Amino acid sequence: MNFIGQVVQWFLEPAHWQGDGGIPHRTLEHLAMSGISVLVAALIALPIGITIGHLGKGGNLAINISNIGRAVPSFALLVLAAQFFGIAAASQVVGFGAVPAFVALVALAIPPMVTNSYIGMREVDADVREAARGMGMRARAVLLRVELPIALPLIMAGVRTSAVNVVATATLAAVVAWGGLGRFIVDGLGLQDYPMLFAGAVMVAVLSLIVEFSLAGVQRLATPAGLRPSKSIQKEESSGAALDTAAVAA
Amino acid sequence: MLATGVVGAVEDPWIRWSWISGHVDVITAALLQHIQLTLIAVVLGLVVAVPLGLVAWRSRVFRGPIFTLTGILYTIPSLALFAFLLPFTGLTTLTAEIGLVSYTLLILVRNIVVGLNSVPDDVREAARGMGFRPLAELARVDIPLAIPAIMAGVRIATVTTIGLVTVTALIGEGGLGSLIYTGLLRDFHTPLVVGTVLSVALAVVADLSLSGLQRLVTPWARSRAVA
Amino acid sequence: MRLKRITVLGASMVALSLVITSCGSTGGPSSSAKATIRIASFNFSESIILAHIYGGALKNKGYTITYRDGLGNREIVEPSLENGLIDLYAGYAATDLNFIDKRQGTALEAGTDAAANVAKINSRLSSKGVKALDPSPAVDQNAFAVTKAEADQNHLAKLSDLTPSVASGWTLGGPPECPQRPFCAPGLESTYGLKFKAFKSLDTGGPLTFAALKQGAINIGLVFSSDGGITANNFVVLEDDKHLQQADNIVPLIRTDVLNSEITTLLNSIDAKLNTPDLTALNKSADVDKQDPTDLAATWVKDHGF
Repeated sequence: MNFIGQVVQWFLEPAHWQGDGGIPHRTLEHLAMSGISVLVAALIALPIGITIGHLGKGGNLAINISNIGRAVPSFALLVLAAQFFGIAAASQVVGFGAVPAFVALVALAIPPMVTNSYIGMREVDADVREAARGMGMRARAVLLRVELPIALPLIMAGVRTSAVNVVATATLAAVVAWGGLGRFIVDGLGLQDYPMLFAGAVMVAVLSLIVEFSLAGVQRLATPAGLRPSKSIQKEESSGAALDTAAVAA
Repeated sequence: MLATGVVGAVEDPWIRWSWISGHVDVITAALLQHIQLTLIAVVLGLVVAVPLGLVAWRSRVFRGPIFTLTGILYTIPSLALFAFLLPFTGLTTLTAEIGLVSYTLLILVRNIVVGLNSVPDDVREAARGMGFRPLAELARVDIPLAIPAIMAGVRIATVTTIGLVTVTALIGEGGLGSLIYTGLLRDFHTPLVVGTVLSVALAVVADLSLSGLQRLVTPWARSRAVA
Repeated sequence: MRLKRITVLGASMVALSLVITSCGSTGGPSSSAKATIRIASFNFSESIILAHIYGGALKNKGYTITYRDGLGNREIVEPSLENGLIDLYAGYAATDLNFIDKRQGTALEAGTDAAANVAKINSRLSSKGVKALDPSPAVDQNAFAVTKAEADQNHLAKLSDLTPSVASGWTLGGPPECPQRPFCAPGLESTYGLKFKAFKSLDTGGPLTFAALKQGAINIGLVFSSDGGITANNFVVLEDDKHLQQADNIVPLIRTDVLNSEITTLLNSIDAKLNTPDLTALNKSADVDKQDPTDLAATWVKDHGF
C-alpha cells in the first residue's frame, strides 16, 4: 500500500492506543508537562515583567538577558539540563527524564513572557496613566484596573508564544529519554519505522496548532473591546510585534 | 554542583580545555557547516518570501491563505517538520534545508508585507505623479522604503534559524548541533558546552552584523524600535 | 542609487553563501590511484573505534578514506551498505546475520559458530555485492545488567536466576529496536520465559540506559559485553547461561566493488589481532575517560604495526 495508507494503518492499530506507550497516554503526558511548565514559568516571568514594566526600570537589561536566553538553542538547553541535573525521575509518577525536560521547558518559557509583559506595560500611554491618577486612583488601582487590562493582550501573546514553544520543545525532550508525543518521532527514527515517525509528526503538529489557535482565541478574548485590532494588516502587525520579541518554536 | 553528567557515576569537568585545543578542526568544521546551513536557509527563504510577500500585499484574497500557511509551518515543531519530510527526501541536507526555509517564511513574509505597507501613500502618489510605471515604482520606491522592516525580518529569521540548525543533528546534519549531540551520546560535557556557547555567540554576532548592515543600507531611516 | 545598493547587497549575499558553500565541500586531493573507501559506524564509541582502526590501516596503505561516524543503528547502516551509500562497516557476526535474515524474510539462522555465521552472511549477500571477511576473536554481544543492589536483593548471578514472576513486574530498557531483535526482548521471552511489564526506549547501551538503571527507572537494561563502564557504575551483568546470545564476533562487511586482495589481507590480519580484553579497555578509555575514539584507534593502529 502507499505510504499514506501505511500511516493510516498505524493509526488504526488498536495496540497503538493502549498502555503507557499508547497515543492517549503520550498525549496527556505531553500536555501535562507543557501546561505545568508554562504555568510555573508564568508564575516566575509575569511578575518580573509586569513589575519592571510598571516601574519602567531595568527594561533594557531584562530584554537583553531575554534575547540572549532566546538565542540558546532549545536542544542545547535540554541536553544541558540532562547533564546538570542528571536524568532523574521526580517520582515514579512523573517518570524518567521528566526533571531535565521540565527545567529546560520552564527556562525556555520565561524569556518571551518577561519581554512581552514588560513591553505591554510600557506601551500603556502615559496620558492614560495620568488620567487615571487624575481621577484619584491610587498606584495599585492604576496598575490593576488600567495598566494590566491594557497590557493584557501583549502579555497573553507572550504566554501564547511560550506555550507553543514549550509544546514544540517537549517534542525534542524525547531525545533525552522523556516520553510525550516526541517519543513516536524519535523511536520511529531509530527503528526506521517511517509510518510511526510520520504519525508522530502528525500528532505533534495537530497538538501544536490546537494550542496555538485556542490561545489565540483566549488572547482575543483577553483584549478589551476598545483595543481589538480591526481585520487588516494592522492585525498582523500587532501580533507580529509579539513575534518580534518571541523565541521560536524549536 | 558536581559535574556528574547524565549517569552520575564519573566526574567530568564542564570544560576540558585539552579537548578543545585538540579538536579545533572538528569545532571549526561544525561552525562552518552551521553558517552554511543558516545562510542557505535565509537566502532561499527570502527568494520564496519576496514573491509571496508581494502577492500577500497586493491581494486581499491571497493574503489570508499565505499567512495561514506560513503560520502553520511556523507553528509545527521542527522535529515534526523534518519527520514529515524524511520518508520523501531522506536523511539529507535537502530535508534539513526545506525544514529550515519553511520556518523563515512567516517572519519574512510578514515583515515584507508590513514594510511595503508602511510606505506612505503620498510618497507613492508622488512617484506615480512623476510618471513611474508600476514595476519601476515597486523597485525604486516601495521596496527600498520597505527595507528596514525586511531587514528586521531577516535578522529575526537568521537568529531563529541558527537555533534550529542544531536540531538537524538528529537527521544527520547538525552544524554546532553535532557537538551538542556528541555531548549527549557520550555523556560528555565539553562538546556540549562548546556547541552551546558557539551557537549563542554566532546568533549574537549575526544579529549585530545584520543590524549594522541594516543601518548601512538605509541611511535615511533608523532601525525600528520594535525589532 | 538605492536600487544599486540593494543589488550590490543581494549579489554579495549570494556570493558569500556560494563561498561558504564551497568552503564546506573540500574533497581531499586524491593523489593515489587507489579507491576511496567510505566507512560507517554505529552510534556507539566501539563502532567508531573499529571504523577508524580499519580506516587508519587502509589509509596507511594509500587508500582515501571518508567516514560516516555514528551513522545510526543497523536499520540505517546495513541497508546503506547494500545500497552502495557506504563501502564498509564493522559488523557483529550473529546480529548482522539475523538482521539480514529478517530483512530477506528467511528463518533466523545465527548460531554459536562465528565462522558458520559469516559463511551464511556471505551466501545471503553475495547477490548484493557485499562480502563479510574473517571474523575476529574479539566479541561484543548483548548483555543484560542490573544494579548490584538489585542483584543482591534477588540473588541474581545468571539470567536463569531471574524468575518469570519477578520479571513480570520489571521494566526492561534498551535501544528502540530491542522489542524486535531476537537477541533482545523476544529472545529473553523465548529462551528464558521472561516477559517484562514494560519496555523503555533509551539508547544503545549508552548513558541514557546507564542513567535509567541507576535511577531505578528500569530494572534491567541492555548493555554490551565489552562496555567499559559496567564495572565503573557498579552494575552486574547476568550470565547468559542458556546461550541466548550467539557468536557476535566482530567482522568487517565490505562491498565487493572496492574489495581487492590487499584489503582482504589487511582487514583479516587486523581482525586476528583484535581481542575482547583490548576492546573493553579501549571502550573504557572512550566512554569513561572521554578520550577520542579516533585517537584511540590511531594509537592501536600504530602499536600493532598497521
